[in-house]
Amino acid sequence: MIFSYNWLQSFFKEKLPKPDKIAEVLTMHAFENEYIQKKGNDFLLSIDVLPDRAGDCFSHIGIAREISALLNKKATFPKVKSKKVSSIYPVKVEDSNDCLRYTTVVLDNVKIEQSPKWLKDKLSACGVNSINNVVDVTNYIMLETGQPLHAFDYDKVSEGIVVRRAKEKEKIVLLNGKEYILNKDTLVIADNKDILALAGIKGGKKAEITKNTKKIILESANFNHKLISQTARKLNIRTDASIRYEQNIDPNLTEYAINRAIDLINVSVISQNDIYTKKLKPWSIKIDIEEINNTIGIEISKKDIISILSKLGFIVKKDMLIEVPTYRQDVLIPENITEEIGRVYGYDKVPSVLPLFSHPAEINNDIYWQNRIKDIMKELGYSEVFNYSFIGDEEKDSFNLRLQEITNPVSSCYKYLRPTIIPQLIKATKENLKYFERIKIFEIGKVFDKKEYICFSGAVNKGENLKSDLLALLNSLGINNAIFGKDEIKIGKEIIGKVGIRDGITFFEFNFEKIQKNAKDNKEYKIISYHPVAVRDISGLIDDEVKIEDIINKINEFELINSVEVFDIYKGKGVPEGKKSVSMHITLQSQTRTLDPETIDKVITKIKETINWEERK
Amino acid sequence: MDIEEIKKEAIEKIEKIKENIDLDLFRKEYLGKKGKIRDLFSLIKDLPIEEKKTLGQKINQLSLEIEEIFLLKENSFKKEIKEEIDFSFPAKATELGSLHPITQVRREMENIFQMMGFSVVEGPEIETQWYNFDALNIPEGHPARDALSLGKTFYLKNGNVLRTQTSSAQVRYMQKMKPPIKIIIPGKVYRYETTDASHETNFFQLEGLYIDKNVSVSHLKAILHKFLESFFKRKIEIRLRPSYFPFTEPSVEVDMLCTVCNGKGCAACKKTGWVEILGAGIVHPNVIKNGGIDPKKYKGLAFGLSIDRPTMMKYKINDIRLFHSANLNFLKQF
Repeated sequence: MIFSYNWLQSFFKEKLPKPDKIAEVLTMHAFENEYIQKKGNDFLLSIDVLPDRAGDCFSHIGIAREISALLNKKATFPKVKSKKVSSIYPVKVEDSNDCLRYTTVVLDNVKIEQSPKWLKDKLSACGVNSINNVVDVTNYIMLETGQPLHAFDYDKVSEGIVVRRAKEKEKIVLLNGKEYILNKDTLVIADNKDILALAGIKGGKKAEITKNTKKIILESANFNHKLISQTARKLNIRTDASIRYEQNIDPNLTEYAINRAIDLINVSVISQNDIYTKKLKPWSIKIDIEEINNTIGIEISKKDIISILSKLGFIVKKDMLIEVPTYRQDVLIPENITEEIGRVYGYDKVPSVLPLFSHPAEINNDIYWQNRIKDIMKELGYSEVFNYSFIGDEEKDSFNLRLQEITNPVSSCYKYLRPTIIPQLIKATKENLKYFERIKIFEIGKVFDKKEYICFSGAVNKGENLKSDLLALLNSLGINNAIFGKDEIKIGKEIIGKVGIRDGITFFEFNFEKIQKNAKDNKEYKIISYHPVAVRDISGLIDDEVKIEDIINKINEFELINSVEVFDIYKGKGVPEGKKSVSMHITLQSQTRTLDPETIDKVITKIKETINWEERK
Repeated sequence: MDIEEIKKEAIEKIEKIKENIDLDLFRKEYLGKKGKIRDLFSLIKDLPIEEKKTLGQKINQLSLEIEEIFLLKENSFKKEIKEEIDFSFPAKATELGSLHPITQVRREMENIFQMMGFSVVEGPEIETQWYNFDALNIPEGHPARDALSLGKTFYLKNGNVLRTQTSSAQVRYMQKMKPPIKIIIPGKVYRYETTDASHETNFFQLEGLYIDKNVSVSHLKAILHKFLESFFKRKIEIRLRPSYFPFTEPSVEVDMLCTVCNGKGCAACKKTGWVEILGAGIVHPNVIKNGGIDPKKYKGLAFGLSIDRPTMMKYKINDIRLFHSANLNFLKQF
């Protein structure tokens, strides 16, 4: 909200410090000042009043009270006299929980005209347009006190005011000419026929003040803040009145505000009413000075605490029982008072003390293994990417996915939660191919199927080395028992990942949890042999149903075997039915000696026997 | 000894030489200090001057010739073994893999907090309304719960939400762990936003929570100061100013003296000299209670910071949308 420096000054006899000084004090002890702007002989301060203080500080008096407490300068506010008349204007409040207080006066002999210059200037400084002398006064009082006021044309109101809920589908045309259809959650001001205003939000066309208006009904009310807040948000109308009513305004303020307005309009009151069934009285909170000091981490004396609270308008009673003024409805528990002490005393005076070291941090295995995977992928030349957790119909249809839908997506392209990362990685690969020849990307992120889990996925535009990359990855994670099927990767019987190709782009996707539970961190040094490595290539037939992995595992169990690598598998012409031709590269090495040909041949023969090897004819 | 013979012999010998070692031996045999040429000179040193002169010239001639054939051979050897390189040819840099800048910054942040004894935990991204709002003292009807305007919350058909802040995991861990609790919760959060250079729908936050018998604003100040200095690797000045969050009381905003202008005021800090870096406070007793912990016995401090913004500050990235662009022209720079 915009505050006028001169207006704030008007509440103090003493000269206030310069605007930038006021702004700094407010920023450090109350609300952040966003900017200061010079306007004529005034300065405008844009102050970000915190939401829990909108009830009292969306007003010049509220900010002046803060300045008074923070700078220890006495502020005096305009005095008013109550204007009692005997005639009662009829007002009916249907539910006092919806409308805590309804204060109203009827003013006669009103002449609608332009406002005086001083009033126009004050409103314009705070960014409010001048309309006419009556509406301008209601706005002026709102800016001064924080109490929104509303004026109705008396002659357009039929037999008094009713504060009630709207009926289903009841309509109102607002001052801006727009029609709204309401329901029973909306609180309205009505007469015995029509709705006159959306309570606390905006007036209607029916009882609008015009230049012909002679008598006015002035409303100074207090409504249930939750009700106003919900209606304003639901209808998406936020006005200067509604942003104040959305927080707790002091119901004891209505009378002061209406009397201030009467003084300014300066005509006679002919009737009035004030429906206030449950008067809000100050409440008390017991505080514990030691607890306050412990929470802030400082030693503030009882005397200083009492002084701070008194300056803020709290009354300190016996045994540190603190009476809270009714304009501070944000203060309800001792912690609220701790905050008041902390901010006024100043966090800059709070010493910086590290807590004593208690427990060392625990390793998070999920994060540890994610980091390991990311590092290995980087070593393998992959780039990590992030995609949105959202996908649209394009991905849904082309991948035939079952999806969870977002009720309020930002766009139809982002209306589902992704159950896989693959469609996005394929899309990203295609995009990047505009600038790069070779794409190797991966992502570790949440996906949302029936439940939420972490996926580790990747894509490459040239897939010939992908299996080698994944082997290197798995080996490095201590996983040596992965079985590569045609399009899936298993450990034992469990599928841990899948691979595939789409539009020439090869992709893989692992369930991270399944990798993580098999990953091991148990590297152990194997003695290095300095004896020469013997190489034997063998080529022959084995039963087709025998798995290559099983063969390799069996060979690896033999003594002296250094490595086994299958470099060709062939089925078809020249190979008998039920068989496959396999070519392998076997290396042998001893820790203790150079191997002689006889020993090598013996091992190879034994291997062939064990795996039912058949020489090719 | 016949000079001509020596010459012939030398030519024959050098032709047969195939290795450097032999060439070296040849040099010693003929041209060395105890070589054949020297021998010839010593043979003529007692001869009469005239003879000495003619023979001397011939020996000199021989020496020159042998040296010449030696050098020729040596050069031919050098030519054979010479390896050439030419670095002036243009080349492209080898393509390395890369880690997302957010991953790198997140790791740095995690490391710093781990050194201060904070364990890293994670929470779900789909959250119940209770953990995302009610547990954090944000009751039904509160503007922060709105789908649009102020709340910016994404709702799912089953009534759950995409967490709007990592704070949503606070109460989950309070229920799971026993105090003292000292954790950070980094992760992805979601807001219903119109995206632009500084607003995203998917972004990252890091939440901190420390619950113990004696926890204070003073600790909060020290932990965050230490963290920021370690992260930015320089002296940092911070200030705490009052703020409001439903789940902390007192609540503070932590500002950092602008590192671009050192507090003088510039475009980066909107001329204020300070940059807002995180929100923090003492955990509201209702939140502690919702976590099943007795707020009379235990207090907590909590803080939440964006991971995206410090990453942008660190690398001078001007558009938050690049993080989820999967654009390798961007990602390969880190």
